[in-house]
Amino acid sequence: MMHKVIKVKDNDIVESTNNFLRQLLSSGKLQVLLAPQNTPSKKVAFPVLISDPKKLRADIIAPILPASTATIVSKMTKVQPPSKPIGVVMRSCQIRALIELVKLNQASLTNIVIIGVDCLGTFPINTYTEFPEKKTPTEFLLEAWKKKSEEAEKYLRSACHACKDPIPTNADIILGLYGADLEKEIIVEAHSELGKSILKEVLLEDEQEGKGRDKTVKEIRDEKDKKRAAFLREREKIKGIEKISEFFDKCVNCHNCRQACPICYCKECLFDSSVFDAEAYKFLRRAEIKGLFKMPNDALLFQLGRMNHMILSCVECGLCEQACPNTIPLMDVFIPVAENAQKEFDYHPGKDASEKIPMIVYREDEFLEVGEK
Amino acid sequence: MSEEKKEHKKEEFEPKIVGFLCNWCSYAGADLAGTSRIQYPPNVRIIRVMCSGSVDSMYILRALLEGADGVFVGGCHPGDCHYIDGNYKARRRTVLLENILGTLGLEKERVWLRWISASEGQKFADTMKEMTEAIRKLGPNPIAKHWNL
Repeated sequence: MMHKVIKVKDNDIVESTNNFLRQLLSSGKLQVLLAPQNTPSKKVAFPVLISDPKKLRADIIAPILPASTATIVSKMTKVQPPSKPIGVVMRSCQIRALIELVKLNQASLTNIVIIGVDCLGTFPINTYTEFPEKKTPTEFLLEAWKKKSEEAEKYLRSACHACKDPIPTNADIILGLYGADLEKEIIVEAHSELGKSILKEVLLEDEQEGKGRDKTVKEIRDEKDKKRAAFLREREKIKGIEKISEFFDKCVNCHNCRQACPICYCKECLFDSSVFDAEAYKFLRRAEIKGLFKMPNDALLFQLGRMNHMILSCVECGLCEQACPNTIPLMDVFIPVAENAQKEFDYHPGKDASEKIPMIVYREDEFLEVGEK
Repeated sequence: MSEEKKEHKKEEFEPKIVGFLCNWCSYAGADLAGTSRIQYPPNVRIIRVMCSGSVDSMYILRALLEGADGVFVGGCHPGDCHYIDGNYKARRRTVLLENILGTLGLEKERVWLRWISASEGQKFADTMKEMTEAIRKLGPNPIAKHWNL
């Protein structure tokens, strides 16, 4: 592993990281860079493919995730991966999603240089655009973090409240905020040979001894584990058909959650297929069986069915919840379900691209009690 | 009188079970039970599928949400799958479905996966008896009365 630091100039963390990114882009090692950059209105930061270093005004800390970066990388690499390296700036949840998409043969890591950024959390897209504080969301978040205050907590998306791990894994280069003295510097680590060879092209200062990133990272992970456990405990009461049907009451079966989900890649979803087309008499019969029948139908079936299809790969990015037009707090159900299901199969989505997803493999000597009671 | 009638009705609760049986083993097993004139409860509505591995959890969920009291999936014994490993995949899928239903507090006891071969007519009949009684004990599926799903 290679340790370097970016010196923070004029107390401007974002611009200092941008200088680094410009150097990366100018070095000729990277063809283009995909990084979050505010749109001209400054109301929202989207992943932007940047080829001209002079036009780079990225904000890699911007606390917003408008769309899945993993899906964007899948779009760019699925047909044919790039012939020269491109850099993609990603948060940990999106790297996990990308690894899952690679396993599902929906993305390639060939010539993809993952630049992982320590995530301080993200706000819902509408909170970001209509941010009520005087500062910009990025400034507000950074200041809250530097002061070690919890004032940004109230704006975080619930997925971020229950985040498994805000520190990137499987990245080629990591931009470390945790454990760095942000008044002075940002930590840069190379975690792969490719990452190392790229960092060599950029003028960076060596890290001084005793910065203690490892210690801070461990502390952050422990703290996140605690918060997550509390989140899970609070959600234990959502159980039973009464609670579950009430929880999904506002679902209009629009499938927006599926559209936003990085894992739901199917071109033709089962729930859009002709399986659900039926003659009028079948609808009428269903009404007759229960005496009455809510339309549009099968909203809960869609939710539970989708859950069955994707939950083992769920990286808990919370984009489904953000996409819901009726603000159903989907993470309240999806995180506990993902936690238990992934535990059952001892599966950690996003951990290792060479691992297979659990539903396509099996062992003869497992779950022997199932089917033989 | 009406109380008595209700009581009587409760006693008479007949579970509705949807059974997905694989073409090569369990369906043939059910057929054997029939041709051998082995008696078993008529509570199961059999749907023949090509493989237990082809039963997407969605179909099981749909039966439960529509008010079936139980869902039975029958496949070939491990190692005997006509498609080599469909039943192993069905097993993993059942584990996942049961885990999800467990987390959501929905009754996973209503979903049964069993291995029944083409020669096990008696086992099919016995399993149907066992499942019908187990579901009868569980009572009617509470989801059945929910029309707003």
